[in-house]
Amino acid sequence: MSKRSDARNLSTRHPSRVTRRGQRIGVFVCHCGHNIAGVVDVKRVAEELSRYPGVVYATDYEYMCSDPGQDLIKRAIREHRLSGVVVAACSPSMHETTFRRAAEEAGLNPYLVECANIREHCSWVHNPGLEATEKAVRITRTMVEKVKGNMPLEPVEVSHADKCLVVGGGIAGIQAALDVAEAGYEVILAERSPTIGGHMAQLSETFPTLDCSQCILTPKMVEVERHPNIRLLVNAEVEEISGFIGNYRVRIRKRPAYVDPDLCNLCGECEKVCPVRVPNEFDRGLLERGAIYIPFPQAVPSTYTLDEETCLGIKPLICGKCAEVCEPGAIDFDMSEEVIEEEVGAIILATGYDLYETKALPEYSPEDPDVIDPLQFERLLSATGPTRGEIRRPSDGKVPKTVVFIKCAGSRDPELHKPYCSAICCMYTAKHALLYKHAVPDGRAIVFYIDIRAPGKGYEEFIHRVMEEDRVLYIRGKVAKVFREGDKLIVWGVDTLSGQRVEVEADLVVLAMAVVPPEGVEELARTLRLSCLDENGFLKEAHPKLRPLETLAGGIFIAGAAQGPKDIPQAVTQGSGAAAKAISLLSAPVLTHSPEVAEVDEELCSGCRVCAPLCPYGAITVEEVAQVNELLCEGCGTCVAACPSGALSLRNLDDAQVERMVEAALAELEGAREAVEVKGG
Amino acid sequence: MSSPTSLTETRHSSPVPRRDAKPKLAVYWTGSCGGCDVSFLEVGEAIVEVLSRVEIVFWPALVDAKRSDLEALPPGSIDVALINGVIRTEENAEMAKLLRAKSKYIVAYGACAHLGGVPSLADRWGKEEIFREVFGKGFRPGPPPGANGEAALPDLLDAAVPLEDVVRVDYVVPGCPPPAPLISRFFGALLGGEMPEPPHVFANVKALCEECQRVRHDDRRIERIVRPHEVLPDPETCLLEQGLICMGPVTRGGCNALCPAAGMPCTGCLGPTPEAGDPGTAMLSALASLVRFEDEGEEYFPKEDGVLEALADPLGTFYMYSFGRFRRKR
Ligand SMILES: Cc1cc2nc3c(=O)[nH]c(=O)nc-3n(C[C@H](O)[C@H](O)[C@H](O)COP(=O)(O)OP(=O)(O)OC[C@H]3O[C@@H](n4cnc5c(N)ncnc54)[C@H](O)[C@@H]3O)c2cc1C
Ligand code: SF4
Ligand code: SF4
Ligand code: SF4
Ligand code: SF4
Repeated sequence: MSKRSDARNLSTRHPSRVTRRGQRIGVFVCHCGHNIAGVVDVKRVAEELSRYPGVVYATDYEYMCSDPGQDLIKRAIREHRLSGVVVAACSPSMHETTFRRAAEEAGLNPYLVECANIREHCSWVHNPGLEATEKAVRITRTMVEKVKGNMPLEPVEVSHADKCLVVGGGIAGIQAALDVAEAGYEVILAERSPTIGGHMAQLSETFPTLDCSQCILTPKMVEVERHPNIRLLVNAEVEEISGFIGNYRVRIRKRPAYVDPDLCNLCGECEKVCPVRVPNEFDRGLLERGAIYIPFPQAVPSTYTLDEETCLGIKPLICGKCAEVCEPGAIDFDMSEEVIEEEVGAIILATGYDLYETKALPEYSPEDPDVIDPLQFERLLSATGPTRGEIRRPSDGKVPKTVVFIKCAGSRDPELHKPYCSAICCMYTAKHALLYKHAVPDGRAIVFYIDIRAPGKGYEEFIHRVMEEDRVLYIRGKVAKVFREGDKLIVWGVDTLSGQRVEVEADLVVLAMAVVPPEGVEELARTLRLSCLDENGFLKEAHPKLRPLETLAGGIFIAGAAQGPKDIPQAVTQGSGAAAKAISLLSAPVLTHSPEVAEVDEELCSGCRVCAPLCPYGAITVEEVAQVNELLCEGCGTCVAACPSGALSLRNLDDAQVERMVEAALAELEGAREAVEVKGG
Repeated sequence: MSSPTSLTETRHSSPVPRRDAKPKLAVYWTGSCGGCDVSFLEVGEAIVEVLSRVEIVFWPALVDAKRSDLEALPPGSIDVALINGVIRTEENAEMAKLLRAKSKYIVAYGACAHLGGVPSLADRWGKEEIFREVFGKGFRPGPPPGANGEAALPDLLDAAVPLEDVVRVDYVVPGCPPPAPLISRFFGALLGGEMPEPPHVFANVKALCEECQRVRHDDRRIERIVRPHEVLPDPETCLLEQGLICMGPVTRGGCNALCPAAGMPCTGCLGPTPEAGDPGTAMLSALASLVRFEDEGEEYFPKEDGVLEALADPLGTFYMYSFGRFRRKR
């Protein structure tokens, strides 16, 4: 038995770093203008505190956070040789850093400074009077007790890897990868499909300026391929992410393409001889492709890819016709899967979106070839699409003379479908109607809508132009049913403005389907071992307003439609924003973290593992005994409360401190003693 | 933490016992089931050796001795007195005080002396209530029929209390009854002249899980609570994860986790670890942490409550041996 555990054999409490001796605490009571002083008698608070044991100096001041206020603290620290400071003012989340920095400048360890929150916790929630003042005194005393038990601490410092992983090569991921790479950091861009570009590559022209989508996208795709700092991995999926901010270990599995991209000269002979024909994903099934194919001519990397799933067979080789005709010998059936392991400092998730399947809306006859989704319509509009930009309907190739667009298909329907607004459908439907009218000037475009949401720059103007100049008919109302009658699709709806039933004979119906999270995002979230999905399955930001690009896991950022439906300008903005976040992390010489974290007393921990699964930040691992990763711990205290062995404690907030704080808070209150009765064994 | 394997090594001298003499030993039972007296046999043959190296001055279960013999001894003449059993009657308390006066060191031997033990669960009710329940209204302990006042039964105390409530306790050998490794640890120290500074409990500071070989999984949680007779537990996995309330996380180790190894959850007989304090609150916070479903959030609260409600007899589960020590004294 070691000496120490002997001494503890019967102890009832941590041999806490009990109060440091000879305390000289300074108390600074802030008026916060009228915010505090209008309710609390701040002078009295200062006066009462000046008589409190351990306090050698107490004063009040108009605005403690102002420069003169901070100077007051600094001067007092020097003149009164203060060993600790309590600022009775606003919430520590507001100015703790301000006051700690000031103290540090005066030579006092910043962790010996605490804020007593007499604003949010007192003056803002009480009426002026004696009781409010009394409460402010108690709150301040409580923090004096805490400071008495505080130890001087140094921030935790940890080194980090200097690479960045970007998951998803849509426009958001492309932008993020380029920005990080330009800043001089190595980027690994992992894209699941055989090419980067994402959905933007499928679009025809983009609202509201109507520039050609591929024309503005492909230069960026090429730049990704050429950039010396970017390692592009297509057919790749992230299989495992472990570690923590600045120090993530990632494992990426890359499916073989069976074609050497350096040798493939894009002749396309292979696809011609391939006996397989399956719907082409890029054209949303409007065209077919072979098992060996290129998604679209400008794909990056620029190569054919053999899709093992649809090929007649590789292991063992069943057909092999493609390899026979491949002049440069680019096809290699022996290519095997690669597993890439990397250490990265930051991760940007830009996994984009999918469309809600049309078959979820059986009332609109989704199985009818002329009832299509909006990306199919984009392909019909596209000069590189199946009809070379001529609008012809899938069933018989005729030019449709009446096209009905149904908005909010599956969106804004909390009962049956998605509760949220898909944000982009109003705009792209207007674009669709306009492009249709340009292509078929004598055609009729009818849009059914609930309301129109066009808050972006130039968006409202765009909608007006579509309605007025291009004379698209907007009918406010829902469509109840779409069904075929001979050559026509009958659309039954209600015009909610006039209250009349509407029936339209249409040639083509476009359903503006809801935007949904892409398949596989749950698995990705699971590898992160964090609850990082919102109730609709999109990646969840750490704070919807103040931390929109971060997840709760430090160093993991999100960008683009992965976070929720958004258009290209927003996706690009987020890509750049997430890149900036990653760059600021990667460029820090070391990562620092507050030392006010949980720590494990290894002599008490039995390794029972009650704590580990509770930590919301995944900061605890247990081998023989528990270990807290100081960089991940946010000092929430959950584990401390749970540990049945009392082996965990929070630095500068240990049990003894909490007890003294509770006592100080309740002192002289009736029945208070009993309430503070504490454990003992 | 090692426990001596042989009890015969004598390396260092210590105040107890003097080197030249065998330590004088007393063993006494108060409110006890008798198991503690038998428990010495658990250490096997080594007990013969132990007995040959001590001088038994008083041990009602083993040698004939009267209270008057004890009273005749000079104060401090017994080196070590081991007392097992709860303090339930006035006589128990008197005997404990008498032994205290005659002994250099008092050892609370077994869970009852240590923490009140199973009998102290009676403290849930007052003495009067117990009489009323067991013997009917108006019962008073008195002399048996035909006997005179002197033969009166000793009256019950208001509560069944641990030894430390009536006398100062120097050492504890915990357990119900104390398991062989801890008995050996105690006699090893005594005969080896290595007794620690009192007060001292002869058991581990760390909780039982440290010694338990059962596997604790990363995402450990409890989705239902069951009682031992309702399941055949998986032999590898931690019993808590299987829904059995194992007191291991809050209980001192030292027994080599015999019960969990045999598929029985720990019931806490070695008492809580020093930092766990009140085993009920410590265990409750551990349980509240473990009871959880794959997802969390308010909608799961009723489900979680439901799991905890299935806990039959919380008092008897959390304080099976320690109610006397931890009950809130009026
Ligand atoms: C019909 C239609 C028309 C539109 N028209 C316009 C328009 O005119 N103007 C405009 O501004 N916006 C328009 N949009 C919106 C535009 O498509 C999106 O804003 C944009 O594509 C979002 O880019 P992203 O990079 O976030 O996502 P995506 O383009 O979806 O890219 C995500 C990428 O991540 C990959 N990926 C997904 N999961 C994984 C994984 N687990 N591992 C690796 N890779 C993965 C995907 O394969 C994909 O390449 C339109 C949308 C639709 C549906
Ligand atoms: S081997 Fe596979 S990919 Fe090649 S031609 Fe045959 S079916 Fe097509
Ligand atoms: S204090 Fe909170 S964040 Fe830190 S290790 Fe414990 S549970 Fe995790
Ligand atoms: S809960 Fe406490 S005793 Fe159990 S593993 Fe965690 S730190 Fe160790
Ligand atoms: S079975 Fe009991 S003692 Fe063993 S690890 Fe589980 S809780 Fe701990």
